[in-house]
Amino acid sequence: MSKETRKQLASLSFSEKLKLLEKLRERNLAIAAAREKLKKLREQK
Amino acid sequence: MQSDGVIGEYAIGGAVGATFYLEPSATLDVDIFVTLPVPSGSSLLSLSPIYDYLTSRGCLVKSEYIVIGDWPVQFLPPSDDLEREAIAEAIETEVEGVSTRVVTAEHLVAIALRTGRPKDRARILQFIEQEAVNKTTLDAILIRHGLSVKWAEFKKKFDE
Repeated sequence: MSKETRKQLASLSFSEKLKLLEKLRERNLAIAAAREKLKKLREQK
Repeated sequence: MQSDGVIGEYAIGGAVGATFYLEPSATLDVDIFVTLPVPSGSSLLSLSPIYDYLTSRGCLVKSEYIVIGDWPVQFLPPSDDLEREAIAEAIETEVEGVSTRVVTAEHLVAIALRTGRPKDRARILQFIEQEAVNKTTLDAILIRHGLSVKWAEFKKKFDE
C-alpha cells in the first residue's frame, strides 16, 4: 500500500476507521471458515 | 474474469493470502497475482483489459488499486519464475461458497523473503512461529529460486 493511501486511511475519522475494522473482521471470519478446508487440502498434497 | 478470458490463472497473495494460514490481518488491500492472456500479434502485457472489464461493471480506480466491492485490489502480473510458480501451484479453496485460489504458505514465505521489507520479515516470522509451513517444501522452493543464502541469513538474524 502506498504512503499516500496509508495517509488517506490515517486521516479518516475514528468512526470511519471503526467501520473499516468491522469490514475487516467480517472478511477475516470468512477466510477463517475457509482455513480448515485449505488445511485438509494441503495435507492431501 | 477468468471465464471471460480477461485473466488467465490467478492466486491471492500478500497479507490477505497469509490470513489463510495465520492469524487475521488488518490489511485492507488485496494482492492478486494474475497471468494475463497475451493478445495475438503482441508481446506486451497490459492490465488495461482488467481495468476496462471492472470499470465497465461499476468498479472504481483509486490510485494504484481498483475497488471491488469494498476492497482495494491490486492485480500483479508475475515478475519472475517464483511468482509464476506461486500462481501455478496455488491451492483452490472456497470463501463463502465462492471458489478461489490462494498462494501456498511456502510460496508466500519465499516471496516475502525475496521482497524483504520489514513487514515481509515480520510475516515470515509469523509463519515460522505458527509452524504454518512445510519445511521440506519451502527448502525445495528456496533452492529452486536461488534464495537459500538469503534464507540462511534471515534465519541467523531473526530466528534464533
